[in-house]
Amino acid sequence: MLDFSIVNIVCIVINLLVLYIIFKKFLFDRVDRVVMKRKEEVDEATRAADLATQKALDTKKEYEEKIALADEEKEQILADIKKQGYDEYERIVSDAKKKGEQIIIEAKHNAEVENERAKEVYAAQITDMVIDAATKIAATKHSATDDRELYDKFIIEAGADNE
Amino acid sequence: MDIKELLKEILLKDKALIHLPFGNGKFDIYESVVVTWIIMAFILVLLLILTRDFKVHNISKRQAAVEAFVSWLRGVVGKNLGEEASRYTDWIVTVLCYLACANTIGLFGFIPPTMDINVTAGLSFMSIILVEAAAIRKKGAAGWLKSFAKPMAIVTPMNVMELAIRPLSLCMRLFGNIIGATVIMELIKHLIHIHSVSVPAIYPVPFAFYFDIFDGLIQAYVFVFLTSLYIKEAVE
Repeated sequence: MLDFSIVNIVCIVINLLVLYIIFKKFLFDRVDRVVMKRKEEVDEATRAADLATQKALDTKKEYEEKIALADEEKEQILADIKKQGYDEYERIVSDAKKKGEQIIIEAKHNAEVENERAKEVYAAQITDMVIDAATKIAATKHSATDDRELYDKFIIEAGADNE
Repeated sequence: MDIKELLKEILLKDKALIHLPFGNGKFDIYESVVVTWIIMAFILVLLLILTRDFKVHNISKRQAAVEAFVSWLRGVVGKNLGEEASRYTDWIVTVLCYLACANTIGLFGFIPPTMDINVTAGLSFMSIILVEAAAIRKKGAAGWLKSFAKPMAIVTPMNVMELAIRPLSLCMRLFGNIIGATVIMELIKHLIHIHSVSVPAIYPVPFAFYFDIFDGLIQAYVFVFLTSLYIKEAVE
């Protein structure tokens, strides 16, 4: 029962090695090949997904930069517009002031001219009155007393008109 | 036939099945070797059928089951081997499958090859070669020799003795368990045969489940578990 046979032990060892080769070739290698291919596909898909994610992140960053730039531009444009508006406002107000002053000057000038004209008209009326008075005196031979009365009357009338 | 004769027949019968002429004499090929060839042929055919038309996508249920089974077996064995000795997983799985078939082949009327001490000796020899080869590969020849003096120089003789004790214990444990189970089953069958009138034929079934299947599988697992532990210890 316990007799050892070297030949049979060697046979068993060879059998085990052959069995290992059978398992390796017809089971492990076949399973590993399929699993490896599947793993490669998964790795490839993961790599592609990583690449796409990276690309998306880059694009997002780019857009964010562009948006930031656009915000700056918007601020600049708004500032420019505000400045332009303020300048325009200043110009309009300044023009209005100038025009107003011009109108006032012109009005003053017109008033002066009108005043001069009125004075001239008044002087002409006085002249006419003097002529008229002289004519009347010349026509009626008045005494010195009459003349003095006439002059006084004239002066009073002239003063009343001036007031 | 009494029990004594039965035991003689089981334990002392001529194991030689094939007599090959060699020089002036001959050498015998034992029945265990021939049954091993039958197991190998069965496994080869089974693998050819199971692993036919393996695909990467749209796999069949058969392929899914095979992949899951291989993965599970590698997981069970790899857990005992550890990370550093994972390269030896396939060999251990091969031995486990062979032992599972060899220990349970008694169900089909064959004599289990592991009932022959030459088979368990061959298995143990391969195991210890693998353990020491793993140690030499990991530590180098000098490191392997130095490892005999660890943890202390005084234990060196015991460590050297372990070179023989480990395979001997593996060999004897498997051989003893399988021959014990076979003897018990033969005795039960003999008793049933003697008392066939009063005992229903179904009585040996639970015993067959235990001794032919459960015990066979447990012993297969114990053998590869211990081998895995030795390899793990050798590469640490």
